[in-house]
Formats: sequence, structure tokens, C-alpha cells
Amino acid sequence: MSRAALLAAPAVLLVVLVLGAALLTALLQSLGLLPLFGDPEFSTAAWTDGGALAESAGVSLYIAATSTLLAVVLGFLIAAYALTAGRGGRLVAALSAATIPIPHLVASGAIGLLLTDAGFLARLFGMPEGFPQLVGTDWWTAAILEFAWKESAFVALVVLGGISRSAAALSETAATLGASARQRILHVILPLARLPLSVAGLVVFVYTFGSYEAPWLLGPVAPEPLSVRAVRLFGSVDLAARPEAMATALTSVGIAVAVIGLAVLGLALLARGSRRRSRRRSGRHSQHPSPLRSSRRSGAGS
Amino acid sequence: MTRHRPLTRRRSRRVTLASVAAGAMLLSACASGAAIETAEFADFDAALEAAEGQTVDLWMYGGDEQGNAYVDEELAPAAAELGVTLRRVPVTDTADALNRVLNEQQAGRQDGSVDLVWVNGPTFSTGRQAEAWRCGWTEMLPNMEFTDPEDPLLTDDFGTPVEGCEAPWHKAQFSYFYNSETVAEPPSSLPELLEWAEANPGRFSYPAPPDFTGSVFLREVMISQAGGAEEIPLEFSEENFDEYSPAAIETLEALAPSLWREGATYPRDEQALNQLFNDGQVDIGMTYGPARLTELVDSGALPDSTRIMPVEEGTVGNASFLAIPANAQDAAGAMAVANLAMSPDQQAIKADPEVWGQFTVLDADRLDPEDRTRFEELPSSPVVPDYAELSGNAHPELDFDWVPALDEAWRESVARR
Repeated sequence: MSRAALLAAPAVLLVVLVLGAALLTALLQSLGLLPLFGDPEFSTAAWTDGGALAESAGVSLYIAATSTLLAVVLGFLIAAYALTAGRGGRLVAALSAATIPIPHLVASGAIGLLLTDAGFLARLFGMPEGFPQLVGTDWWTAAILEFAWKESAFVALVVLGGISRSAAALSETAATLGASARQRILHVILPLARLPLSVAGLVVFVYTFGSYEAPWLLGPVAPEPLSVRAVRLFGSVDLAARPEAMATALTSVGIAVAVIGLAVLGLALLARGSRRRSRRRSGRHSQHPSPLRSSRRSGAGS
Repeated sequence: MTRHRPLTRRRSRRVTLASVAAGAMLLSACASGAAIETAEFADFDAALEAAEGQTVDLWMYGGDEQGNAYVDEELAPAAAELGVTLRRVPVTDTADALNRVLNEQQAGRQDGSVDLVWVNGPTFSTGRQAEAWRCGWTEMLPNMEFTDPEDPLLTDDFGTPVEGCEAPWHKAQFSYFYNSETVAEPPSSLPELLEWAEANPGRFSYPAPPDFTGSVFLREVMISQAGGAEEIPLEFSEENFDEYSPAAIETLEALAPSLWREGATYPRDEQALNQLFNDGQVDIGMTYGPARLTELVDSGALPDSTRIMPVEEGTVGNASFLAIPANAQDAAGAMAVANLAMSPDQQAIKADPEVWGQFTVLDADRLDPEDRTRFEELPSSPVVPDYAELSGNAHPELDFDWVPALDEAWRESVARR
């Protein structure tokens, strides 16, 4: 373990150095200590500028949480179908994996063309008036759908990669014992997929939380998620907005790091809990030894 | 130079860098930019000599196909004849180019990667505040003699004195256009346009500031509410802002329910508005580059029935420029290109609607008769009237500081209505 840590140290050190320097610079800029021109002047104004920062954080959390939930549910369904439906399932898995290399920018553009008020679907159904408004709404519908579509493929891939071997065998066994597809999904695949689902969900959450293209292209003009606000302020012609841009970006980093920390803690507790449960189960067995075992033990003793 | 802050920001106590951690010191040590010598060439011939063999990186908005084609196919070959390689660097927003310059200056780089920027207005002023532009070099450009030194569009850029910090490139006039198939009688003034929008709910919108075009519309509404361009002082101050901006913001708030999507959201930029216009979702569009409309109609990006909407009280006009960053590596080459871009030959090529259709910055009275006829014989466009007609009753841009202040006020009240 310590040897592995030592081997990884150079790479980790480099990343920490580069990332740390960037974050420190951002922090100094957000506090007015590294101005683009003029004298440095300490100020926390960029951090306390009304409720705009908190509002943006709320929007970002909403988009990330909803997209993650949808992606995890959809991804699990794809994986479960792929595991239980034979050849058709493999086709679905291959199709969903094929969407992964598409960049989010392209996917967002495509979703935009598909779902706008005068977009492809509205024209296809010939309903320019009655087509639901999905792009640029207060509910961020199109942006969330884009994330859910793209990221569910990622979730499915992680789950399939993590459990396909053990799950396929177990679910076949369950099937020969008469378990229905629903029973196999709920009692065999879901328990096995819990860990890969949690990890993939965490990755999706952090990714969508910081992602820019889809909310920018498919969301309304206001309010803004953190990523969009940070980019807008960074590119603002008002140079006094630079500290606010940095404060926004750092808020985004801070929340993402906090979520990762909490999730790692949660996963560790989950793992310890399941270990303890399994230990307790084996402990119960030793307290109430089966007649077979006790006889063998007594046999060994004699 | 005093800096106006549009928003009241709390200022706390001063803290010197010395109190920050050692790592911070290390990082910020390279942030100090030394004053840059801007007049190193005795005359233009010296600059031309130094320019030979240089590669000039021209950073410009990359979303205009005709502009890209003009630079690649006309300006770059002409620059090559001077021994200068002209490389076009496309950006989505001119502020990106300035950001690059400022970041390189902050990092202490004197061999900057940006040599020339297509710039005007807010980006220029911001750069001047940060002392990012090389100044005092345009007087020595020989082709400056063809421009009118008294032309207010060329002496001030959004209220910021040009002072030889940028070379004029072309003129622009803010214009509205409408779909002549769906609008029988177009409004003929801004107040009429607002009335029309209320009478035709959902058929009008404007790009959301800080988009350049949306920002202009905001200022036009403010000028119109104040009773005309003469009524508003061009200079920005908190008092002026408090006096004139509320009427504009209130008007736009009242207008919002009549807009596309009931004003719940706005098209993000001019392209998004053009898309709505082409999809038939709105009937009126707007642009600061009316010269481009001909090509947009030809290419099918806008319908054939697109027409310029005449505005009685006139609209705002400006000129755009080429600026050289103070830390540009190939400044001599950049000067050579800026002079070339201002030549009657290049200006006439660029003014052709088939090529780019940008209005010239040259003064016809100062040109040779031969060159003058070249401009007079340019083909006319069925969509866009000529510059003289477009710029009738035109008024100058307000000071740059109005721009972010008004944009922010709009975002705070109208956008989150």
C-alpha cells in the first residue's frame, strides 16, 4: 500500500502543484489581491455580492441532482435489460455505449435542434403551436434530458463492466430456479450493482455540476448555473467582474469537493456496514453450529 | 484615469501582498507589468522594414463567414506581398482576445501571442484602462491621410478617445430588419416598434445582454425614452445612470410579457435571434452589421423577404478598429497590416457586398477620382440601402461605462422578472 503511494507520489505531486497554484491564483484574484491592473486591494465583495452566488449554486445543484437521478435510473434499466434480455440486450448495450464518444457540445446542439419550439420534432409532428416548450425553460428540461441521455450510457457501461460476469451467472441460476425477470432485476442485479451505481452516480453528479455546454445552450438566460455565470463574468468587458468570476468558479470547486468527500465517506460506511453484516452472519453460524459441522469438529477433536 | 464602478462594491481595508502566504508571493511576483515603449519606430518605412518576415496573428470574431473569407483570400495575400504572413485566429468574442492579452501581461510575457485585434467599444476601453494597447502609432500610417481627422466616429470609440491606439477599419450602423411577408406596415420609429410588439404578442424579441446587439437595443430604448440622443449626456456617471436608466428598464419590464415566450427567456445572441426570425417565430430582427444581411439572405440563413426597417429618429453608429496589444511580438507587422487594411484598394474590395459589404472608413473627398469611382460603382444590395441612407440621423454611441452598467441593471430586473 505504502509502496503504491510512493510510486504514485510524483504524478500526484505534480497534479497537486499545478492545481493548487491555479486554485490559489483564483482565490487571490477573487479577493482582489491579483488585479488585472491597478493596486491590489483586499475585498470580499466578490463573495458577498447579494444572493447571486447562492442562487447560481442552487440552480447548479438542481440540474446536477436531477440529471444524476435520471441518468442512474435509466443507466440501471439499460444495464439490467442488457443482462437479462439475451441478444437484444447486447444490442441495447452496444447502442448505448456508442453514444459515449459524442461530445456534450455536439449532443447539446443536436438536442437543441430536436427540441426547440420550431425544431425537428415540432415540425415532424406538425405542431408548431402545441409543442411543449423544452429549451430555455425555468425547469431546464432540455439540458437535463441531454445529461440524462448521455450520462445514462456511461452509468450503464460502468455497471455492465463491474458486474456483468457475476450477474449473468447468478441471474441465469435464478432463472432456472423460476425467478421472473422482475425478481432477477430486483433481487440479483440491483444488490450487485449498488456499488458501481453509487460510484458512477458520483462521477455523473460532479461532471454535470461543473458542465457548461448544455446549460449554456439549452437553458434560460437567467438565473444562471455556476459554470455559465463564471464564464460570463470571466469574459466580461467589465474587468471589475474578474474577482466575481473567480469566486463563482471556486464555489463550484468547493461544492464539488465537498460532495466527493461526503460520497467517499458514505461509500466507506456502506462498505464497512456490509462487511460487519456479513461478519455477523458468519458469527451467527459459528454460535449455532450446524450438526454437520459440530460432528466434524468433534470428529476432528477425537 | 478614473474608473467608474457601475455597482456599489464594498471596499475593505487595504492589505499589502506581503501579508499573503509565501506561495502567493511567488505567484504574484510575475504579475507586475513593466511600462512598454510604444514609439520604437522612427517612421513607417522603418516599421515596414522590421515587418518583413514577421507573422501577424489577427484575433477576430470567427462567426462571420464573409469576414473570414475576406481576410483569408484578400487581406492575407496582400500582406504576403509586403513580406508579412497574416494568420487569422478566430474567437467567439473579442473579449477572449483581450483576456488572452491581459493574462499574458499578468504572467509578465512581453512576446505576446496576440499581434492585432479587430476591436471596438467596450473591449477597447477596457483594454485602455488596463493599458493593454500600444498607443500613438496610427499617425504614422500613410493611409490615415484618406480618413477625415474630424470624423467623430473615428476620433472617439464609444466615448473613449482613440488617441492613436487603434486604426480604423470599417463603419457599422445599428439597424432593424423585418419580414416583409408577415409585416405589412413596418414600424418606422423605436416607439412605434415597441407599440407594434405589444400589439403582436410573441412576435418580437431581442438578444439578451451582454450580447453586443442586445446591449445596443437597451441603449436605444434608453435614448428613446429620454426623448432623443441629444437629451442624454454621453458621459457616464452614477447620477446620469440613476436619472436615465430606470425609464428604460421599466419600459422593457412592461414590454416583456408581449415578447417571444412572454419574456421568460431571451435569445442568447444575434445568431439565436436570426434563427428565430428564420423559423418564423419572430418578425423583426436587429443587427449592428447590416452589411452582412445581403449574404445572410443569399445563403438562406434569413428569408428572401427580409428588409431593412427605416427608423425616423435614426440609430446609433460606430466604427470598428484594429488594435495592437502593448506586448505584441510582431508589432511592426501588425502596423503594416493595419495600414494595408486601410488602403483604398482593400477598403473598396471589402465594401463590395459580394465580398464582405463593410462600410468604408475613408473620406470620399480625400480619395483620387479613380478610387472614388470604385466606391461609387459598387453593386447595390436588394436588402440593404447604402450607408448614406442607413446612417441618416445617426447618433454616436454613449460612453463605454454605460454598457456594463445597463446590462447589469437589465439582468437584475428584466431577466429575472
